[in-house]
Amino acid sequence: MKKKLMKWLNVGLVSVLLVSMLAGCGKKSDEGSETKSDGGKGETVKIGVLVADVSSENAMAFSAYYNDYVAKEYNVEFQFTDALEDAASEKAAIEKFASQGCQGIISMSSSDRALQIETCEEYEVYYAVATGMLDDAQYEEYKSNEFFVGQIGASMTAEYETGLDMAKYFVEKGAKKVAIYGAFIPNPMHVYRTAGVLAGLGCTYGGASDQEGIAGQIFGDQGVDLSKVAGDVEVVAYFQGYGDTTADEFNAASQAAPDAFISVGMGTTFFAQQLNTAEIPFGDIDSFTSSNSEAMKNGKLEYIAAVYGSSIGPVFAVMLDAINGNVIRDEEGNALSINQAYAVATNGDEFDEYFLKDNSDSPIFDKETLDAIVSDTANFEDVKSLVEAH
Amino acid sequence: MVKNQRKLNKYKIQQMIVQFLPLVALVVLFLVFCAVVQTKGYRLDMYLKIVFNEGIVLAVVATGAIFIYSLGSFDISLGAATLFSATMGVLNYNAFENVPLMIVVIGVSGIGCSLLSSILASIFHIPVFVATVAMMSVLSAVSAQIITSRGGALGGISIPSNVLKSLDVPAFKIVTLAVFFLLCLYVFNFTKIGRREKFIGGNPVCAKLTGINYNKHAIIGFCIAGLSVGLGAFLTLVYTPSVTATTASSLGMNILVAIVFGGMPISGGADSKIFSAIIGGFSYILLDNALELIFDSSSGYGITQIISAVFFLLVVYAASMNYRTKTLPR
Repeated sequence: MKKKLMKWLNVGLVSVLLVSMLAGCGKKSDEGSETKSDGGKGETVKIGVLVADVSSENAMAFSAYYNDYVAKEYNVEFQFTDALEDAASEKAAIEKFASQGCQGIISMSSSDRALQIETCEEYEVYYAVATGMLDDAQYEEYKSNEFFVGQIGASMTAEYETGLDMAKYFVEKGAKKVAIYGAFIPNPMHVYRTAGVLAGLGCTYGGASDQEGIAGQIFGDQGVDLSKVAGDVEVVAYFQGYGDTTADEFNAASQAAPDAFISVGMGTTFFAQQLNTAEIPFGDIDSFTSSNSEAMKNGKLEYIAAVYGSSIGPVFAVMLDAINGNVIRDEEGNALSINQAYAVATNGDEFDEYFLKDNSDSPIFDKETLDAIVSDTANFEDVKSLVEAH
Repeated sequence: MVKNQRKLNKYKIQQMIVQFLPLVALVVLFLVFCAVVQTKGYRLDMYLKIVFNEGIVLAVVATGAIFIYSLGSFDISLGAATLFSATMGVLNYNAFENVPLMIVVIGVSGIGCSLLSSILASIFHIPVFVATVAMMSVLSAVSAQIITSRGGALGGISIPSNVLKSLDVPAFKIVTLAVFFLLCLYVFNFTKIGRREKFIGGNPVCAKLTGINYNKHAIIGFCIAGLSVGLGAFLTLVYTPSVTATTASSLGMNILVAIVFGGMPISGGADSKIFSAIIGGFSYILLDNALELIFDSSSGYGITQIISAVFFLLVVYAASMNYRTKTLPR
C-alpha cells in the first residue's frame, strides 16, 4: 500500500513540477514582451510568419532580420510558426495567427499558397509571399483578391535562370565534364534550378531543351536520369538527397575527374571539404555564410548564387503599408508581383559585398532604405525600383 | 472474509480511478488550454475550432486503429495510408468530377491499404510491425511519386476548393465522428468481434486454443482501421483540398501517442478501450496547442516536443502501475 502511495506521490510531484515549469516559462515570455523596443507610433502591429524551414542558415538569417532588426526599428511584433509540414498545418497556423490578432501573414511556406490566400481572406488578414512565388495560373486567379498584398521573391523562371547562369559560367570557363547535385528534388525549386543547369550546359533531357520540358521530366523521374542527358558537356555523376551520398559514390565521381561540381542547393554543406581536397571547382545556390566565405576565399568554391537575410525587407514594408491603409497595387490594380533575383558572387570581394554588409545590426535593407517605401504615398514603382536596385 | 472484501473494494476503486484518469486529464487539459488562451488575450472560440479541426482526423483514424492495437498489433502505416487514400481521391475527382465516386475511391483505397498490411501479416506470417513499416515506405513513395509528377511546380495536387468547402463546418464533422464512433463502440463492446479481439490481444495462445481464428479477426480489425483511414482522408480533404507528399506524415505516430494518452495499453488485450482514441486524440492536441502557446515557437523550438515526450512517459508510467498488480485484469 505504501509503495503504491509513493508511486502516486511521485507522479503527482512530477506533474506539479511540470506545471510549475510551464507556468514559469509562460511568465518569462510575457516579461520579455514588455521590454520590447517601441520604435514606431500607435498600437503594435502583429504579423504572423509561416515558415516551412526553421533550421537552414537562410531561414535563421530571415528570422534574425525580422526579430532582431525590423521588430526593433518598427512598432511590429513577429510571430513565427514551427516548421510547417503540409497544407493543413499552414491553414491551422493562419487561423491561429488570426485568433491572436495578427493583421498580416507573410508566407515562407509553399504547400498550398492558394489555400493560404483563401484562409487569409476568410479571416480578413493581409497576405504576402516572401520566398518563392505563386505559379502564373494561381497568380492570375488571386491577383485581384483584396487581402493578397503581393509577392516579392524568385519565380520558378528565376530559379531556372539561376541554374542556367551558373552552368554557363562553368561552360565558359571550359568545363567539358561535370557532376551535378540536385539537392532535394522533387522540391520544385530544386527541379527548376537543375533544369536550368542542364540547359546551361547545353544539354537536352529526354529530348527536351526548354524550361518546362526538362522540369516536367525531372518531376516525373524524381531526379535526373543520366541516360536521358545528351549534349557536348558530359555529366559524369549525379547525386541528390539530404546527405544520401556515400563516400564511395563521391570517390567514384571524383575519379571521373569532372571539371566542375554544380550544386543547386546546400552542396557546400555536404561536399565542400571533399571538393576542396579533390581540388574540383564547384558552384552552389546557397547563402552568404562564413563557411561559404572560407570556401570561396581559400577553397574551390568559384560561383555562388544566394539570397541574403534582409532580402525579405521589402515584402515586410508593403505588408506594413497595407496594414496602415496603403495597399500598394501594380499599374493594373493587381497585387504586386516582383521578381527578386539571386545575388551572385564569383570571388571573395563580391562575396563580402553581401556577407559583410548584411547583418542584423546593419542590413542591406535597413530602416533608412525601407522607409522609402514605408509610407502612405509609396506606390508600385517605388517598391519595384527599390527591389531591383538591390 | 471482510479483509478480502476490503481488498476487492480497494481494487475496484483503484480500477475506477484508472478508468476515469484519462477523462479527468482531458478535462484538466481543456481547462488549462482555455486558461492559457484567455490569459494571452486570444480568441477562445477560434482556438477551440482550430483544436477541433486538428483533432478530428486523429480521433477518427485512432478510433479505427483501436481494433488493430487491441490485438496487440501495431500499425505505423496509417498516416501513409491516409495520404495514399487522399491522393487517390484527388486523382479520381480530377478525372471524373464526381464527389460520391471520390468518397467510394477514398474508402476503398483505405480499406485496400489496410487489407494488404493484414494479408502480409496474417497469411504470410510477417510480423505486423515489419509489414506496416514496409507498407508505410511503399505508400509514401507511391504517393510522393504521383503527387510530385502531377503537381509539378505547385508541389502538390488538389481538388477545387469549393467542392467540399460546404462540409468544412463543425456540425458535419461532429456527426461524422459520432456516427463512426458509435458504430465502432457497438462492434467493439457489444459484439463477439470486439470481445475476441481483446481476448487475442490479452493471450493469443489461449485464444487459439479456444478456437478463435486470429487471421480472421486480424483482417476484420485491419478492415475497420482501413475504413477509418478512408474517413480520415476524406476529412483531410474537407479541411484542405490539396495533398502534398507530407500530408498526414505525422499521423501514424500521433495515433500511437493518442491511444496511450487515452489510457489504453499498447499491448492491447482486455484493457483496450474504444474511448481511448477520442479522449487521447483530443488530449494530445490540447496539450500540443497549450505548449505551443506557452512557449514562443521561435525561441522554444523543440521544447514543446520534449515536454510532450515527458508527459507521454508520465502517462505510460502511471498506466503501468495498474498493470503491475498481481490481480488479473477484469
